[in-house]
Amino acid sequence: MRLFLAILLCKLSRALLRLLGRGGTALPGTLALRLCPDAVSRLAKGIRCVMVTGTNGKTTTCRMIEKLLREAGYDPMANRSGSNLERGIAADLCANAALTGRPKKRWAVIECDEAAFKRVCGEVQPAVVVVTNIFRDQLDRYGEVTHTLEGIRIGLERAQKAVVCLNADDSLVASLAPDAPDRVRFYGIDAALGEGADVSDAPRCIVCGAEYEYEYHTFAHLGGFRCPGCGYSRTEPDVAVTAVDALTAEGSAVELRVDGKTYPAAVSLPAAYNLYNAAAAVAAATALGVEPARAIKGLARIESGFGRMERFELGEAKITMILVKNPAGCDRALEYMASVGEVSAVFCLNDGTADGTDVSWIWDAAFERLFADPAGAPHNIIVSGRRAEDMRLRLKYAGADENAVTVIREVKALADELASMSGEVLVMPTYTAMLPLRAELAGRVGRKEFWK
Amino acid sequence: MTELNICHLYPDVLNLYGDRGNVLTLKKRLEWRGIGCAVTELPIGERAPLGKFDLFFIGGGQDFEQGLLLEDLRSGKGADISAAVNDGAPFLCVCGGYQLMGRYYETHTGEKLPFLGALDLYTVGGEERLIGNFAFETEFGPVVGFENHSGRTYLGEGVQPLGRVIRGYGNNGSDGTEGARYLNVFCTYSHGPVLPKNPALADGILAAALERKYGRAELVPLSDMSEREAHDSVLKALTGE
Repeated sequence: MRLFLAILLCKLSRALLRLLGRGGTALPGTLALRLCPDAVSRLAKGIRCVMVTGTNGKTTTCRMIEKLLREAGYDPMANRSGSNLERGIAADLCANAALTGRPKKRWAVIECDEAAFKRVCGEVQPAVVVVTNIFRDQLDRYGEVTHTLEGIRIGLERAQKAVVCLNADDSLVASLAPDAPDRVRFYGIDAALGEGADVSDAPRCIVCGAEYEYEYHTFAHLGGFRCPGCGYSRTEPDVAVTAVDALTAEGSAVELRVDGKTYPAAVSLPAAYNLYNAAAAVAAATALGVEPARAIKGLARIESGFGRMERFELGEAKITMILVKNPAGCDRALEYMASVGEVSAVFCLNDGTADGTDVSWIWDAAFERLFADPAGAPHNIIVSGRRAEDMRLRLKYAGADENAVTVIREVKALADELASMSGEVLVMPTYTAMLPLRAELAGRVGRKEFWK
Repeated sequence: MTELNICHLYPDVLNLYGDRGNVLTLKKRLEWRGIGCAVTELPIGERAPLGKFDLFFIGGGQDFEQGLLLEDLRSGKGADISAAVNDGAPFLCVCGGYQLMGRYYETHTGEKLPFLGALDLYTVGGEERLIGNFAFETEFGPVVGFENHSGRTYLGEGVQPLGRVIRGYGNNGSDGTEGARYLNVFCTYSHGPVLPKNPALADGILAAALERKYGRAELVPLSDMSEREAHDSVLKALTGE
């Protein structure tokens, strides 16, 4: 009875919010959990579920897995809006349930916040778990990276049946392997893609404390790590990008080895970090029984997600929106920005709870990269958001001329300005800065909201 | 040529919260004035005679790496640092680096970790973290930043606070003090990082270093438009003024 009421109330409040033009899931989910605290575990019963957690790449990896499953003939539900806390997951499970509690869809791809993971994992009992990576992120909320790691470890202990897909190149993530003995599927990149970060989030061995040595780097602390102290080192992955043939603004051409056999693969999202997401998605899909060749084919048809490399064409302006929320993700976006070359750059920095109330992370991201070669520097820079002044200050110390940086506070005015530009425009907002700007741009190009 | 040698202590493990921005700020503000600047990083396992440096920076870190750090300090580097402090070398110490300069850290379970003891202060671990934007009044005017610490720090008699809390918690959330001043040592819980948004404090520390090395410090004023606006926007959000 409580479950019935929870589902009913959740569905009603959600419908009401949508009538008001809002896509909220937080309130309906909170209501459902208030009425029926074990709603998640009851509604997840009978669903084959893939759960994705980690610092960066959760949303895109989920989208990829969803696509690969769909192409293989399954019809999974997903929490697509990126509301990945327990309440958002509860709301989406309610939406997927008949009033009796019976699930409409029998497969699910669920993105889960890394801090909520340990609770949700025990309730959902996933068939497959993917851990993308662990970077320093919103220290005010998550605490230190080792704390995040510990939370995921507890979650894995509660997911006794799950096949666990771990990033072999991330020394923090890979250290979770002993927590799921015999059930681990490693994925990674066998080729060097770049250099390590100036400030590594994991310079020292998680087991013994000695400084890692690297055979090669992909980016940040990811790569072919090995501890000279205790021998803890990268495991040969089951799913690996073995060669990168091309990286363009449209996507990548690579070779992918799956359980010993190598296939050519096209990934329809640009940037090297999406190769990790692609390898993770293939590891998860094949763990669920999808044929490798079939899974890989799906990678060529991935569309970009909500604010993640999402494109908008507005007049002469070719706008790409890249959500950023921590130094590692921001560095990848800056790398991409530098590779595109002559761009207009827009940075929107907010300090809401979902963004991290501490904006000091911008000083750990390498904005200097944009100004290293004056010829390739952005020819036009705009800052926006509640902490626009902090952003401008960061750019000044990275090498920008402070007088050439424009501050635009209001979303409509910012969208007007973007529409008046021409050429490649890269917009890098934090989460709460992304939502209103994305809605405004989507409205102007006639794109549907995610809940439609 | 006028030049400062800056030593960044433990950048390999004490590097949370954009601490690099403090070193970058010191460097840029010297460069913009035509003053030379060399930054030397001194990670775990490396020692150097500290007498050749004019200014030191120590940031905050993760608990995970603290054990390694204490071991390294015991190898003799800790004594070197204390000697440099007593010799009048300017230091900026933030968060964990600040606590490290004190006598000890008592965890909330009662375990006492002996620290450097270069300054007469100590820290007691608390359950609740003290987190948020904050502001405090100093001899350089109001300083703004972000604090995030579970330790509560208490100052001994010979040590002055760096400032008085305007909004936020500061050293311990109860006595209204924030940070510490002793000889030429500047300690604070403020990251953000602290120096970019507080150019008067940055210049104050640079002046102390130049004064000590050359007997005089001439720092020509800089434009500081972005610095001032970033500072004022945080102060305004905190105080409504």
